[in-house]
Amino acid sequence: MTTTTDPVTPDPPVIEGRGNPLRVVARAIGTIWSEPKARFGVILLTAFILLALFAPLIAPYDPHDGSFPHSQDGSAAHLLGTTGVGQDVLSQLIWGARVSVSVALIAGLLATLVAIAVGLSWGYVRAFWGEAVGFIVNLFLVIPSLPLMIVIAAYLHSGGLAVIVLVVVVTGWAWGARVLRSQTQTLRSRDFVTAAKFSGESPSRIVFREIMPNMTSLIVASFFGAATAAILAEAGLEFLGLGDPNTVSWGTMLFWAQNSNVLLTGQWVQLFAPGFMIALFAVSMTFINFGVDGLSNPRLRERTAKR
Amino acid sequence: MRYFWGRVGLFVLTLWAAVTLNFILPRLMPGSPADAAIAKLSQNGPVSPAMRASIEAQLGVPSGSVWSQYLSYLGQVVHFDFGVSYSYFPQPVSSLIGAALPWTLVLVGSVTVIAFVVGTLLGVVAAWRRGTVLDTVPTVGGQFLSAFPYFWIALLLLFFLGYVAGWFPTSGAYSQTATPNWSLSFFGDALDHAILPGLTILITSFGGWIIGMRNTMVNTLGEDYVTFAEANGLRPRSVAMRYAARNALLPQFTSFGMVLGGVVGGSLLVETVFAYPGVGLLLFHAVTNQDYPLMQALFLIITVSVLIANFLVDILYGVLDPRTRQ
Amino acid sequence: MSLLTVDDLSVVYDQGHGRAVEAVKRVGFTLEQGEFVGLVGESGSGKSTLGYALTRLSKPPARIAGGRILFDGSDIAALSIEQVRTQRQGGFAMVLQSGMNALNPVRTIRNHFMDVFAAHGHVPLGARAARAEELIAKVELPASVLASYPGELSGGMRQRVSIALALSLEPRMIVFDEPTTALDVLVQHAVMNTIRQLQATEKFTAILISHDLGVVLEATERVLVMHDGVIVEDAPSRRILSAPEHPYTRMLLSHYGDPRAAEVSVPGLSRRASGEVSVAAPTTTPSPRRAAREPIVVSNVSKVYPARRRGAAVRAVDDVSFTLEPGMSMALVGASGSGKSTIAKLVTGVERPTAGSIAFGDLRIDRLHGRRALKRLHADVQMVFQDPYAALNPLHTVEYILSRPIENFVELRGREVRMRVLELLETVGLTPAATFAGRLPHQLSGGQRQRVVIARALASDPQVIIADEPVSMLDMSLRAGVLALLEELRENRGVSMLYITHDLLSARLVTDRIMVLNKGVVVERGDTADVLQRPQDDYTVRLLDAVPNPARP
Repeated sequence: MTTTTDPVTPDPPVIEGRGNPLRVVARAIGTIWSEPKARFGVILLTAFILLALFAPLIAPYDPHDGSFPHSQDGSAAHLLGTTGVGQDVLSQLIWGARVSVSVALIAGLLATLVAIAVGLSWGYVRAFWGEAVGFIVNLFLVIPSLPLMIVIAAYLHSGGLAVIVLVVVVTGWAWGARVLRSQTQTLRSRDFVTAAKFSGESPSRIVFREIMPNMTSLIVASFFGAATAAILAEAGLEFLGLGDPNTVSWGTMLFWAQNSNVLLTGQWVQLFAPGFMIALFAVSMTFINFGVDGLSNPRLRERTAKR
Repeated sequence: MRYFWGRVGLFVLTLWAAVTLNFILPRLMPGSPADAAIAKLSQNGPVSPAMRASIEAQLGVPSGSVWSQYLSYLGQVVHFDFGVSYSYFPQPVSSLIGAALPWTLVLVGSVTVIAFVVGTLLGVVAAWRRGTVLDTVPTVGGQFLSAFPYFWIALLLLFFLGYVAGWFPTSGAYSQTATPNWSLSFFGDALDHAILPGLTILITSFGGWIIGMRNTMVNTLGEDYVTFAEANGLRPRSVAMRYAARNALLPQFTSFGMVLGGVVGGSLLVETVFAYPGVGLLLFHAVTNQDYPLMQALFLIITVSVLIANFLVDILYGVLDPRTRQ
Repeated sequence: MSLLTVDDLSVVYDQGHGRAVEAVKRVGFTLEQGEFVGLVGESGSGKSTLGYALTRLSKPPARIAGGRILFDGSDIAALSIEQVRTQRQGGFAMVLQSGMNALNPVRTIRNHFMDVFAAHGHVPLGARAARAEELIAKVELPASVLASYPGELSGGMRQRVSIALALSLEPRMIVFDEPTTALDVLVQHAVMNTIRQLQATEKFTAILISHDLGVVLEATERVLVMHDGVIVEDAPSRRILSAPEHPYTRMLLSHYGDPRAAEVSVPGLSRRASGEVSVAAPTTTPSPRRAAREPIVVSNVSKVYPARRRGAAVRAVDDVSFTLEPGMSMALVGASGSGKSTIAKLVTGVERPTAGSIAFGDLRIDRLHGRRALKRLHADVQMVFQDPYAALNPLHTVEYILSRPIENFVELRGREVRMRVLELLETVGLTPAATFAGRLPHQLSGGQRQRVVIARALASDPQVIIADEPVSMLDMSLRAGVLALLEELRENRGVSMLYITHDLLSARLVTDRIMVLNKGVVVERGDTADVLQRPQDDYTVRLLDAVPNPARP
């Protein structure tokens, strides 16, 4: 070997993807950050996550504490007033972030994992059962999901948050699976995938190391899409009384507000505030999605880094 | 023709799958929905053997062969016989649905068509005037609005336009003093009641159409056939509509099916807020009263309606895209 | 007065934040009525950008930054959009590079014509149908085409329709932007002939933009050579051929040759003394020389693809037999659809033959079962892909790409793998190797990428390399270097090579044996020089005629 006589072995180049996963995440956030609309989304989402994490420190009262005067308007002691059973609305709003945000993120994450598993294997394997999977996915896509959720939740007798997460995942994975599948099919026929087979790579390595990294933006987009759908669905189910009415979440706040006829008593803040939080949370994720395009395009990534 | 029959086949298959899913669902659930239903029903008086058999076929009982239950369930579906509701005892489920369905079909159907047309047109304008105010306002605004919960928009409209401003009636599909007939005055009354729920569905659904159309048309504007049409000196309106928009419309139709399910789901919530006597409100009542036969039948009807709408859109797509005819 | 006077024209690409890249730099020339002029340059030379500017089709981020384009006395660059639009009738037209996508898929061909007539009103309503038929006849298509949708036509037919549409404007000037590049070799030739005839009969001024100096010299009277945004040479075609002045023109010309000639050479190949040795790989071969030991024996192989939709089953390969002896280099040539790429798939085990057997030593390729067996085959039979842009995963570094086959096939680990990667990079002439190892594909040029693709094929130290059109996506000036590398690998490492191409010149340069395929059948085979100098089959003659040859009268 001629190179053995040559001492030039400089800093070994870092191999892409084998690096620290934290670095990968940090770079992804950096890419998203460079798009102003997405930056707005990231700031909002971070604020919500902080609110949920530090709810006990931020909230002025215990959200279950019903010892205050009933149905008060906003005052210095209770900025957003009190509920019909004498709980502080602001404290409920802050504590509600915990349940609502975590349900959205967990359900979104699970739905995305199912979508990745189904979408990638369905897209990569060319076989008859691909058609069968396709039929099932399409069925889940066209069946209106909210009625399906309502029916499942009704049978399960308001089993609480786990049921809601389950229902949201069952009805929410199909969209992502379809998008990821068609992208997988496109990538599968690319020469670099054939080349990887010639390099002796195993199917799982081809799927996860060659194909999947090229779909990062789609995966992230489908996660935020699923999380948005999840928080809207959660709120819808709880608003209909299909959640556990004793948990404090934005959906159950709306349920109680509606049941105590706050529109008639004029305490519309109790309806407005939780709905606004849900909308804002959904908006934050919609806006992050403006910035995910650059994630699997090294050229875009570079261009944004130079800015 | 090949495309048409392919779609018909797929439609029939999907229909069968949806009907079967409806059969399997209660049988997968813990406990026995059928026993619960029969218990509920017996509170209203003695349960006849025929009613019992009907409920067992629909919701499943531990005894009896699943196969024979499935066959008699299919028989019921074909005859629109969904048993008796016990929350509205002794009304049959089919007549309850028959009364509620037209309200939903007209409301959701017409608003969906309006939202599709308006949203798509705004999307065309946004793509054609990319980067201008005509682009950013509808796109960003549409993103904003489609992130809002349906029922929350409904509540806001109800409060501000209904209670505070008093411009529109706050509940029902027509005034309590009116009786449904084909007169112009009743029609006006019904329209008055439909505005707030309709507006809610419109606001929350048309953003998706704007963004979908805008994004696909931005892509088609970059296609060679658009450049070539410009090179041939076609009028800008012709390039925009017949070349760019016409081709961007096709994916818009393909995504219609997926979006429709969401719109229908959302309008169910809207109906409950406005106490609009459609299938959504009925479903809400069925769920709160654990009226399983009614709930089960409603789910089937809603699903089948969406499937039919999808099928019609598929056929329309075939007409619009010459490539499906080859 | 000249029909077109371009004066000090600059076109820039805005890159945001006030930065711009100048793609066309203060270019000036004039065109007379009825002239047929070629505009030649390699990718990135600015030739297409110039073509778009001349027809006022530049779109953001491209922008005319200065200068004038006087067409028939008025400055196109200064006209309003509506003025330009009306000027297009009777003025200037354009035929786009990818005629495949230049037609609206949801409109019939007839409607395309009607749209043009409606936009300008230059043909009376009653005469429009007849005019459309007349135009479609001019491009040698039957009138029945008018009722078709673009998707129902072949690529060559679509490009003819585009030409007819451009003609329907009754233009005084037509810009053809690489009008035949995306088409099959034989179709290219026919479409080019149509363009030449039309230009002669209709007497419009034509600008033919192409990367292929051979094509341009064959068709035009005058050639503008463009390099790096500047027109470096503007001369009659004959003089470009006999006495090229600019070194760039001379370099381009040096890459042409007649595959029929007794002695063929391009820089770096055949005659290494011609001063361009730098493109060739370094002569050191670090790994121990390892000759191929096993032949690939293909006997009576057929491949039938099942019918798609209504069509009949396709017999892509029909009873083909050949033996690729160890260390031999064989060309497999034919137009698209001849079955040559299918044979590559069969030989590499990607697909299975419908009939016949393929053996590599004692390994039956047609009966391979499972990934393990395929892996065993790929340790010895490797592939070089056509499109270097598609064959490398954009997210992986060169080091990762090369280390995978090393780890999978050679069982090296850690530091040894890295040493081997650097060694491979040196073998393919990417030096200093350490600086290339860390790069991502988009940071490499087309030629460099193709060298990485070749390095990857070498990583397992294979006995056989299947090269599927390895240079067809590269610029002319880069091709010779890659071909020289392949030739050198064969000589120094003793690998056998199956070289698949439609380009007879390159086949002549790097192979000893040749097989000509037409519709899945071998129509001719033998010693490469023999077959190309004395072709027996009519199909081979047609392929040879389609080779652009500037020297042909």
